[in-house]
Formats: sequence, structure tokens, C-alpha cells
Amino acid sequence: MTGFPLALLRLQSIMHPENPVGRVVATELKPSTPHQFHFWTARESPIGIGAIVRVEEGGRVVYGVVTDGFAYSDLATPMHAVIGADGDPVAAGSEPTARAEIRLFTAAVLRQIPEEPLQPVPLGSVWLASDADVVLALRMDGYTGGDRATGIPVGLYAAGGLESPVYLDCDFLLGPEAAHLNITGVSGLATKTSAVEFLLSSIFQTFPRHKGSVAAVCFNVKGPDLCFLDQAATLAEEDARQYARLGLQPEPFQDVHYYAPLKADGVNLNSLRTNEALAGNTEPLVWGLREVLDYAEVVLNRDDIDAKADAFIDFLAERVVGREYHDEMLRGKPFLVQSFADLDQFFRSIFDFMEAMGRGSEVWRTHHVATIRKVRNRLSNISTRSKGLVTDDGVSNDLPWGGFEDRSVHVIDVAGLDPLAQDLVFARVVSKLREHLERRDLGVDHVVVFVDELNKYAPADGPDTYVRKMLIDLSERGRYLGLVLFSAQQFRSQVQRRVVGNAGTAIYGRMDMDELAMPAYGTISPATKIKLATLPKGELMLRHPHFTQPIFVKFPRPAVLNSREGIERFPPAAELPFADAVARQMRRLDRRVSADAVRALIDGRREDDVRRALSATRRERPDDAYAFFTACLGRRVNGEVTAPRRGIPALKRADDSYGG
Amino acid sequence: MSAIGLMNLEVFRRAIKAKGLTPATLVPEASGGRVEEAAIRPAEVVEGESLRMIPVGPAEPWPGSLAYLDGIQKSQIIGYAGSAPLFVAEIAAAVRERHERRLRTVAEARRVIVLGRPDALTAAGTALATLETFALPADEPPHPLRDIVNAGHAVDQARGALEVVVGDRYRAGSEDWLVVDGTLAVSPRWAADGRMVAISKSHSILPFGGDDLGQYLRLPCGHRSSVYAPATRSLAPVRAWGLRLWPWEGKDLLHGLVRVEVAPANASTENADAISRWILADRAPVSAPDRRWDRLLYGMYSVEQYLKARA
Repeated sequence: MTGFPLALLRLQSIMHPENPVGRVVATELKPSTPHQFHFWTARESPIGIGAIVRVEEGGRVVYGVVTDGFAYSDLATPMHAVIGADGDPVAAGSEPTARAEIRLFTAAVLRQIPEEPLQPVPLGSVWLASDADVVLALRMDGYTGGDRATGIPVGLYAAGGLESPVYLDCDFLLGPEAAHLNITGVSGLATKTSAVEFLLSSIFQTFPRHKGSVAAVCFNVKGPDLCFLDQAATLAEEDARQYARLGLQPEPFQDVHYYAPLKADGVNLNSLRTNEALAGNTEPLVWGLREVLDYAEVVLNRDDIDAKADAFIDFLAERVVGREYHDEMLRGKPFLVQSFADLDQFFRSIFDFMEAMGRGSEVWRTHHVATIRKVRNRLSNISTRSKGLVTDDGVSNDLPWGGFEDRSVHVIDVAGLDPLAQDLVFARVVSKLREHLERRDLGVDHVVVFVDELNKYAPADGPDTYVRKMLIDLSERGRYLGLVLFSAQQFRSQVQRRVVGNAGTAIYGRMDMDELAMPAYGTISPATKIKLATLPKGELMLRHPHFTQPIFVKFPRPAVLNSREGIERFPPAAELPFADAVARQMRRLDRRVSADAVRALIDGRREDDVRRALSATRRERPDDAYAFFTACLGRRVNGEVTAPRRGIPALKRADDSYGG
Repeated sequence: MSAIGLMNLEVFRRAIKAKGLTPATLVPEASGGRVEEAAIRPAEVVEGESLRMIPVGPAEPWPGSLAYLDGIQKSQIIGYAGSAPLFVAEIAAAVRERHERRLRTVAEARRVIVLGRPDALTAAGTALATLETFALPADEPPHPLRDIVNAGHAVDQARGALEVVVGDRYRAGSEDWLVVDGTLAVSPRWAADGRMVAISKSHSILPFGGDDLGQYLRLPCGHRSSVYAPATRSLAPVRAWGLRLWPWEGKDLLHGLVRVEVAPANASTENADAISRWILADRAPVSAPDRRWDRLLYGMYSVEQYLKARA
């Protein structure tokens, strides 16, 4: 018999599911314990780091996951290899006999059956786990069967030619038992966004009806990452096969709503999703003074929040904004503050009054002038830095609070916003979600909030911002409300520990070795770290409350266009001149509207007036948008044309060779 | 019979104690290997007129498949009947065959035997009934140390016999080259087998005296001696030569020196050179950390390790 068929036969024997692939060994230095064991295999064994194995001996079954591997020969010292090869490295590989060598693996125990008494792993034969073994090893038998199953497919565990679906328990992913998910990994290779897109799709397809309804709110914080969730991708055969194996349909999200702030001109969207073909479900996100004032703490807490500023903001919110405010000393006519412009007028009246009062008048209604100036600066700062998100006119366009649909996705594109404005958007949206979920009037029972770049919002170091406190609160108490945080970042160690620590499920994509050297990863074996550092796209390591050890899974690419494909297929529209942008937005509200008519209508009008009319039309969504818009604009008032004053002509100098 | 361990021996010790014998736990010196006396048995040079040092040329891989046969032995005193010791010995032999540079076991046998004077074996009676017995010579009065020596020879013989059994079993199913540890002269079939080579690490019996011995012991690395006919191989005549595997200079005259035995029909100059070159190629990998690594081929070492691991 030649060598090749012999090796082939041996490999076939090893790969046969009924044949053991190894045997547990225990020595005094490497004993079997209730949590760890060692086993050897043939050299041709398909066992690798992350493989799940089964040990059977004497009525006890133990499942383990391979966490480390060793290979060594009977060579006692490298010097013997040098002697054997006569110092020639070329000869070293051509010895007539290969040294005896061992493949020794270390496995961490996933489960023992029976679970009591908990004993060291028996010295029995080792098999590669089958589909049924994987279910038992990961304790998925408790939540993937029966009428009220709660399993959510998350990927495929694959080893030795076997491939088994792995499920998360939605009670531990979306609450109430545990909740939240955190993904970490380097940019570009860790497939963080893809993993979230795939998992959200899986949740939407398999979240059991008896657990209620679910929606998602995603913050797009960079580029066009999440801008094409409603656009189908062309999948490879292998991806389609994996979807089928997981029992999922490879389809894009059906009910997606996009919100993006406007640019400073107040009419063009500050987003990369501006292609005309995608305009149908893309709306401006615009907030007024009231929306901002409720979250003024976000603006103030960076460096100078104090009780005095807080008190003055409360005064403004309760007594001034949105109602008539009388103060005879300031002016005879009552104030009606509804916009930043109105508020600025109000502040100016206060300062005029205090100036008029002269020296010694530094307090107005118990508020010191310095406090009033600070609050004014901060509030005007947000309206300046977030122009496009915050309007001066007080008209807002917001998420459909109270009208969330089951399995709907709401993407808020804040990629183009100033960090302060991003904080504001994040704080307000999450707070509103929380309020509505507390009152059970959001429209759905569970909301998944996806935030990328979590290290920006909840950094491990730095000031204790409003957003960070809110994220901590969300991660610690959100599960009781159905408010679930899916978060991602490059470096988990740079995120506040309480936020990531409260994530019941953790996913790791390809990791940076420097990050893996941090103490937080001390429980991961060196071999697993190497695997994490070289993980290919589409593979992840997974921690979940039911899994006593991390598990590696692969998942198909999401069935939606990724950012590069999306931008290529739907390039962003060029930024339009003011009149054209207004005409486009009007046509988006009512396709019957003629762009030329809109351009003619607004020609010569003040841009602020046009913006105000457009916001009102957008908010009202009347049947006849053009008529409503025209009414909002009001009668045209022609401004007085002042003839330019004639200047004094310059003197002509004869010696100036350039003159003339 | 499967391998026996210390726990099993304790069972036998308790059993013989119950029979009124005296249990003991001595492991005699050299209980793990052959016992040989040092001597010179002048051999006849059959290649040329006188003993020469012959360069064999560069090492060459062994053609085709190759198998190694070796055996192990292990014995302990488990007690005394009066002043006569009782021994338990385990002997084992195996053939490991090389395919694609990898060794795997293709034939194996083990025996556990109890040795003692006939009276001592009778006194032990049913206590050792499950074991195969072997009577030591009783023509002289019991002397524990002499009995240890006799037992050692008996175990050697039993091991040699077992190696022959295993070797024959392998040879019945394969015509590949078979390298054995020691000598071919233990079996007439082996001594005539054109595909067998014996390699002896032991130089207790030297083939030359005087100047020839000096020359023999100073073979340079990669050289062999002239082929000779050993004088001690009465049962089955073989041909042999000395071969230096590793330089001895700076170490010892015996460092790296082996005796190679083949069937007489295989002993032409060309064959002796070729077989020597094949053996030289088999120096790598070295069998360290075994202290005999300079003379022990890795294949043999592998057989020993295999047998010891299962003992």
C-alpha cells in the first residue's frame, strides 16, 4: 500500500463523526479539572482553536471548547536537531524518519452532564461536537425548542467540516433577563457594522411574537455606514447557503426611515444619503428651542455646569419659553419666546435693562449677570454650531414618537454634525425613547439603539458627561424598559467599564494585539488572542450568558448594500443652490409641485422666511403643499431700494504707470 | 497479557505473604537490559587479506520502506521463599514500520512471567497462578545474587525469543527491510534473510585483539571495517563489520561505533558499503536524550519508547 491512500484512510477515519478524534490525558502538571482538560489528537485532526468537543466516559458527558494547542516532538534540546542535521538547515527537513510529535489541546469546559456532582473531566475519548452536541454544549436546548422558543440565530459554528447554527436567547439579548450587546474590533476588518446589520435582520425575522414588538434606532456616526439598509445586496452563493442554514431570508430591511439634519443653508440635507432615488424615506431632523432647552445640560455639562446655571435654565424653561412672559421692567410688551431668535431678543432686553440700571446692578431676578451671560453663550453656541439641526424659527421635524412600527428601523445620520450636536441628538433621542417606553406609548415594546464609536460617548477616562451618565443608566436599567443598547467601538478598554460590563452579549471581531494585551483580556488564552488578532472578515468571537466560554462563529454578509456599494450605486446628489433645494424639498412633499413655480415664488424672498415656510409645510404635510407654502410665505413685501451713494473719485496721478 | 504495573505487583506480594513467603521490592541492577560479559572472540576477516578501514561514501536514504524491531524487559523481585528470590518480569517486542517518514507499530507482543527456583515457585503456589512461570536452575544451593544473575539471563533469553516471534510475524507479511537490535544469529531464518540487518550497540564481545583491535576501535567517522565472520555465531553464521556513525575523537573509542550484521549472502563489498551508507543516513534524527544516542538509531529508540509507554 502506498503512503498516500494510507494517509487518506487515516484522515477519513478521523473525520468520521462516530470515531473519536482524541483522548483526554492528565498528568500531575497538567491535570484534568472541573473547568479544564487536555487531550491529544492525531496530527491530521481537524481540531483547532475554538472547536467544540465532547468527552464521554463512565456515564459522564463533558463538552468543552478548545482554547489552546501545543505541538512538540521528542527533541530534548535544539542542539540535538543541529547535530542530527550536521549543522545544515537544508538537511534538517530531510531526515529519513520524522520525530514522534504530539498535538496536545487544552479545552475549557462548557457543560457537564450530569451537572452534579461537579467533577474533574474524565480521561475518556474525545469526539468532535455534532449539531446536537453544540446545542447541548451551549445550553441552547433550554431556549431553542418548544412553542415559546426564544432563540435568535447569530451565526454558524464551524469545525472539522461540521457546521451548526448558534442561537442567542432573546430574553438575554433584548431583556428582561439580561440585555445589550457590545461589539469590539479594529476598523475595516472587524465587520462590526456588518455584524449589527446581520443580527438586527435576524432579530427582526425571528424575534418571537409572544415576546412583543421590536424596532431599532441606529445612529450613523461616520460616512455612509448605515445609509443603505433598505437596499438589497447581491449575495454570493456561500452567503445564501449560510442564510438557509440559519433559517433566515437574505433580504434588506423593509421599513426603514432616515433622518438627517440640514446643512447650514437650512435646505440641503447634511447626509450622504441624498440621492434622488432614496429621497422617499429620508427626512430632515430639525429641532427648535424647546427641544434643545430640555437637554441644555448636555450643552452645559462639558466644563461649567453649576447649580446657578441650572436654576436659570429651569427658569427659562418653565417661565419664559413657549409662553407669554411679562416683565414691565424689561419692556412693556410681553415676550413670546419660541425660537433662538426670540430668546436672543429676550437676553438683549435683560442686558439693556441691567446696563440702564448702572453700576451695582449685577443681578436680575436673583440671577447674576455672569450666569445669564454663560447660559446665553452656551445656548447660542449650540444654535451656531448645530445650524441645520437647530432652527431659529422653533419649527421642528422629529422622529415619530408614539408611532413606532413593529420591525421598523430609524436611522439618524449624525455623521456630519459637530460632536456637541451629536451629543445633543443622542441624549435627546435616547431620553425620548426612555420616556415613551416608560409610559408604554412608543408603539413598540422593545427598541434596539445602535451606537458606533461608543468610546466617544462613554469614554473610560475624561469628564463625566451627561451622555456618559445616560449610557451608564441605559446599560444598567434599560433592560427593564425594553430599551436595549447595541454598541460598537474599536477598543473596548477605552469604554466606560459599567457600560460594556452590563452588555450581556459581547462580540469580538478582529482585534488589535495592543488592545488584547490590556488586563481586561487576561482571561482569554494566548491562542485565542492570536485567533482574534487574525480573524477573517465574517467571523466573530461571541460571549453570551448561556455560553460559559467564548465561541467562534461565522455569519453571512448582510443582505443590504454596504457603504461602498451604496455610494457607488446611489452617489450623493450635488449640493443645490438655495432655490433648487427648496424646490426639491417641495417636490418631495408633493410631486405635483412645479420646481419652476417654487423658484419663482421664492425669488427675492428672505431665506429665513422661506425656511420658516418650508418647515411649516413639512410639519403640516398639507394636501396642497404649494398652496400652504405660499400662504406661509405671505404677501411679498418689496424692500426699499436705496440708491448707492456716490463716492469721491480718486485722483489720477500722471506719474503712476499703472494708473489710468 | 496486558502490561502489569506496580499496583498489580502489590497484589502478588500480598498473595505470597499470605502463603508464608517474604515479600520484597528490590529492582536489581541491569534489570532493564541484557547482561553480557566482556571478552574478545577473534573473528575471521572475509573481505581482503587483513582488517582495513574503508570509507563508505556519503549517507544515502534507505531504499523503500523500512521497519525496526526491538524489545524491552523489566524485572523486579517480589519476594523470597526462604532465601530463594521470586522475580516478575515483563518482556515486550514490537516492529515499527516507516511510511512517509512516519513510524507506526505493525507488530507487537508482550509477556509477563514469574521466575524462581522450582521450590520457590511451588511454595508460591496459587498466589502466582495467573502468571506464566519460568524455573531457574537449581543445581546449586540458593544464593540470592546468583539467582538474580540467572534470572537476568533467563529474561534476556525470553526477550530474545519474543523478538524472534514478533520478527517472524512481521516477516510473514512483509518483505521490506527490517533492522533488528542486537544480532541476527538468534535465528537461522534471520541469519539467512537477505532483507534483515542487525545493529549492535554493545561491544562486550570484541572481534579482534592487538593492533587490529586498536585499528577497529579507531575507525574514523563514515568508515567501516572489513567484513568479518564473527566467531561466536555458532547457531547461524552471519557476517559483520564495524561502522563509525559519529566522530569519536575527543570523546571515547566506542563513541558512535556499531556492529552491523547481515546474512552471508549480503556481505559483498558493495552491499556492505551500501548498507553502511543507509545506516549513516539513519543517524538523523538523533535519538537523544537517550544516553546511547550515538549508537541508537531513532527508529529503534522509537520502538523502545513505544513499548515503554505501554508497559
